[in-house]
Amino acid sequence: MGAAAALGDPRRALCALSVGAADRAVCQCGAVQCPRLSPTKVVLPELTFANYLKIFDPYYARLFGRTLRLGLVTTAICAVLGYPLAYFLARARPRVLALGLFLLIMPLMVSTVIRVFGWIVILGRKGMVNQALVAVGLEPVKLLYTETAVVIGLVNIFMPFMVLPLMASIERIPPSLEEAAQNLGASWPQMFLRTIMPLSLPGLISGCLLVYSVSISAFVTPALMGSPRERMVGQQIYDEVLVSFNWPSAASLAITLVLFTLLLLFAALRVTRRAGRLEIRQ
Amino acid sequence: MSGRTPWPLLPFVAVVYLGLLAPLVVVIAVSFGPSAAFAFPPTGLTLRWFEAFFNSKPFVTSFFRVSLVVGLLAAVLATTLGTAAAIGLVRFRFTGREAFETFFLMPLLVPEILVGAALYLFYARLAIHASVLTLLWSHLIICTPYVIRSVTAGLVGMDPRLEEAAKSLGATPLQAFFKVTFPLLRSSLLSGAIFAFIISFSDINLALFLSGPESTSLPVHLFSQIQWEGDPTIAAASSLQIVIIGALILLVQRIFRLRLMV
Repeated sequence: MGAAAALGDPRRALCALSVGAADRAVCQCGAVQCPRLSPTKVVLPELTFANYLKIFDPYYARLFGRTLRLGLVTTAICAVLGYPLAYFLARARPRVLALGLFLLIMPLMVSTVIRVFGWIVILGRKGMVNQALVAVGLEPVKLLYTETAVVIGLVNIFMPFMVLPLMASIERIPPSLEEAAQNLGASWPQMFLRTIMPLSLPGLISGCLLVYSVSISAFVTPALMGSPRERMVGQQIYDEVLVSFNWPSAASLAITLVLFTLLLLFAALRVTRRAGRLEIRQ
Repeated sequence: MSGRTPWPLLPFVAVVYLGLLAPLVVVIAVSFGPSAAFAFPPTGLTLRWFEAFFNSKPFVTSFFRVSLVVGLLAAVLATTLGTAAAIGLVRFRFTGREAFETFFLMPLLVPEILVGAALYLFYARLAIHASVLTLLWSHLIICTPYVIRSVTAGLVGMDPRLEEAAKSLGATPLQAFFKVTFPLLRSSLLSGAIFAFIISFSDINLALFLSGPESTSLPVHLFSQIQWEGDPTIAAASSLQIVIIGALILLVQRIFRLRLMV
């Protein structure tokens, strides 16, 4: 929620990311040799890039590939499902808007674990969906502990991060523009695609960035809903910090994840600048 | 206004909301059902899982002794710190003001799991053991930005001349703040404090790294119970959290009439 506003100006977000003190601790740790034998000695004098080069190992490459892919799928689904919802809220009457926002923010504020637990009950082996399938005479299917389950969970949890910036962006488009487009003969879908979408592009970009950056660092959802063999980077970081005590490796993974986010912010900065020019021309 | 919205949009919106709310509805329904196997829809109505919740020492400790205490303390401390920071940022001009502003909001931009991991490594290096205090301190980092945002918004909308008027009429700066600025800021302060509480109360990504054996927060306890496939006591505890958070959000909506601080 808060990040939405800050991401509106990606330059400030960039600057913010680069001055993080907590991050600096991780940075230092990531460039240090792995203290496998002595977990209490965090800083050894020798510096090495081995922890970063390891990311190109097949195991880690697959881990990152899967994480970034699931992030993309989640973001795309959130955008498709969230756009109409954002439009609806932006143009709703005050009372409808109040109710709509409550129903959007309330789930966002409840702990992730609880929402994931709800999905486990729905998708589980003897869950709602499978009970319904058995009731109509079909075979139960394996839904939980698959990538599909993880994507369902991520979309559900991070949807508000897409809808809120989009809504703010659409609200700023005067309804008279819509009327003008429709008076000039555009059908509603044409109007939406050619008026609303280009003008709400900054909102879409903030929304996509937010959803993408939170879903590639997700931990609880893949840990409880995903297959143990198809893990995401967040789980690897958690295990390396708390289970295998391979802190430098965990730190290098964390820094790589932050770098991905930074690259995205850079890209977003370029695109929003272009979008800004577009807006000025109109 | 909504008359212009084409009708196929409404069922679509309804379906998206159904998907958003489905897990919460299911959790609440399961917590009142008699089946230990999480049957939905429930076949009867019982309070036995709530009874089990109040009789389970780990659940009661994590809910009342850890999560509720840390949440309330985090809300009070974050509101104090955040208000001071917001006043400094809005009322004074100094070099590096913008950098400070971005710095204060930064915890919202770094993925929470990385903040958790970084803090864990930080405490490990200082050889500080996990306790309620480490959890509280860490929650302050993610709660304070919400207060700063909320109070900054309130201050920007306030006329600074009111405070100046009070001072020119003989009030000391402290008197001017507590008698003029503070009452006008009350609703921003309250909504900031409520959000700070909610963020701390429902946090799991930091707590997973920073909860010790004596300071397991409710979400962390739920996490391990789900992993070990516990019974619907999980659902009962979750329902209590959903009700508390729902009520608080309604309260914020009341304070601000309509718009939440989004």
